[in-house]
Amino acid sequence: MNKIAIVGFGGAGYNAAKEARSVDPEAIIDVYSDTNIGPYNPMLTTYYVKGAIPYEALFPFGPLEEIAKELNLHFHGNQPVTGLEPSEKALIFADGSRKQYDNILISTGASAVMPPIPGLDLPGVFKMRTAADAVALKKMLEAGKVGSCLVIGASWVGIKVVEDMVAYRVPCTLVDGAKWMFYVAAFEKTAKRAQQDLEAKGVPVYCEQMLDHIEREENGQLTAVMQNGRRFSADTVAVCIGVRMNVGFLKGSGIEMNRGVLVDKTMRTNYEGIYAAGDCCEALDIQSGTHRNIGVWFNANKQGQVAGANMAGRHMEFDANVLVNLAHYLDYDFISIGDISACKPEDEVYEYEDHKYYIRAVKNSEGIKCINMIGSAGSNGVVKNAFIKAIESKHAGLDIKTICFLREKGFPDSFIDYLGGTSID
Amino acid sequence: MKHVFVFDQDKCSACSACMMGCMDQNDIDLAAGDQCFRKTYDNEIALADGSTYCAYISAACMHCTDAPCIAACPVGCLSKDPETGFTVYDNTNCIGCKSCAMACPFGAPRYRASDGKMVKCDGCNERVKNGLKPACVCACSFGALTCVTEEEYKASGSNKACSALIDQLGLKKK
Repeated sequence: MNKIAIVGFGGAGYNAAKEARSVDPEAIIDVYSDTNIGPYNPMLTTYYVKGAIPYEALFPFGPLEEIAKELNLHFHGNQPVTGLEPSEKALIFADGSRKQYDNILISTGASAVMPPIPGLDLPGVFKMRTAADAVALKKMLEAGKVGSCLVIGASWVGIKVVEDMVAYRVPCTLVDGAKWMFYVAAFEKTAKRAQQDLEAKGVPVYCEQMLDHIEREENGQLTAVMQNGRRFSADTVAVCIGVRMNVGFLKGSGIEMNRGVLVDKTMRTNYEGIYAAGDCCEALDIQSGTHRNIGVWFNANKQGQVAGANMAGRHMEFDANVLVNLAHYLDYDFISIGDISACKPEDEVYEYEDHKYYIRAVKNSEGIKCINMIGSAGSNGVVKNAFIKAIESKHAGLDIKTICFLREKGFPDSFIDYLGGTSID
Repeated sequence: MKHVFVFDQDKCSACSACMMGCMDQNDIDLAAGDQCFRKTYDNEIALADGSTYCAYISAACMHCTDAPCIAACPVGCLSKDPETGFTVYDNTNCIGCKSCAMACPFGAPRYRASDGKMVKCDGCNERVKNGLKPACVCACSFGALTCVTEEEYKASGSNKACSALIDQLGLKKK
């Protein structure tokens, strides 16, 4: 009988359990979690805060008890795994005990980074990643205890915290250490435009502000003091400077890692029977051919499904992994498709703007490297698909339906040409 | 019993009757900014040999077997109806994040500005469950758009026509 362990129970862990159970009804599936709550989606936290969804909706797969019953899982809550012996396929626990399995999935996710900067432990300084973080912020906002907020980090989470503050009519300022907003995904010109548009909605943005420390003022406010000496004061400070993969317990185990666990297309690590999926892993990125963590909900779910199938004995592969960053906030849509870090000054730049869209893209003789678009949400999947197809088959061009779709959506022929051409064979 | 939409573009004149049927069935309010779930395209496309191809296409959700929108939805709004095989949704908890649109290679999900939620073609699931045809199929006077069970589809040999369409659309065969 196949004995499977799932370490960490978010979207990846849940989908692995679901797929493994559908393939192998007899398998023993043990789930270990460092919490006692069911799989939730960190992306939903800010939506819960602003009242867009009820608390239960944070848990898109339903209550833990129902999941465990339906999938016949042995759920071990509040039991973190502290080590792994991959050659033995054994998990190690805090009390020193160990347990062997036939297959193990590492799906421990990621946590909000709170660097050792003085003042980050002051009351009123918060992060946003877990359901508990969301509950605490919502409580504060609903109690009317927040008169102003400083958001540190123009990240995908940071911008959503800004949206929460705007929803509660709390004056908010956004600061970031990078040269411009969304630095890892946006071209400078795109970012400046996004900044201008955000400021027009009443949110001041300051870039190139590296945090030195946070201190409490005599009037009770918090002041974030930057390395350049600039000071930003507010009632609360949100620290949204990124995430760190939860892989510390694997250090020295022999599992190959960069920032996350390296996996192949089957989500297998460098050890037979040991898999990883979701925000804690780095899968193959088809654009660069290297390992990358692309931490989006879709990837977590699909990677978990693939790992679950393979652990249960049915071959499955995860493919078409490309860098995508999507930000939807304050009725504004920005997407970046592809690897901005691969762009060079000598590459060909495409830029287009009308009342509906802003597009900026870069390519060279090898193909398109990165596309930034503002206002294109309804067409993002079509453009992303064209981007992936161009990587998979360089001279494939666009299909008829894609050309028709993009034209109907108002994209110019120049962009359609840029993507692969208005002319077909 | 899984259902599939079969589109024969040789019979399509892009008259948009299917769109009208869809709008009527789903109470699409264009004046309020709603978008029809089904779209028709009447497009002249240049061919590599210098000639022009007149594309008449009717398109909506393809109801993919392994629909990426389902895995992409952060709140779990989307699912497969086990009876019809259609990709259906309950947008009660939809947050309007448009992740489904980013996952869909066909641009099928539509954002409804009036309530900030996503909507899409559900294959007229309730109609089909009750033995009726989807509204778009009913409206098609030329037989270009049909909806059949998977068994009927295989028995009819339409898979060849479908393969041709897939080839033409440049889609990946599973």
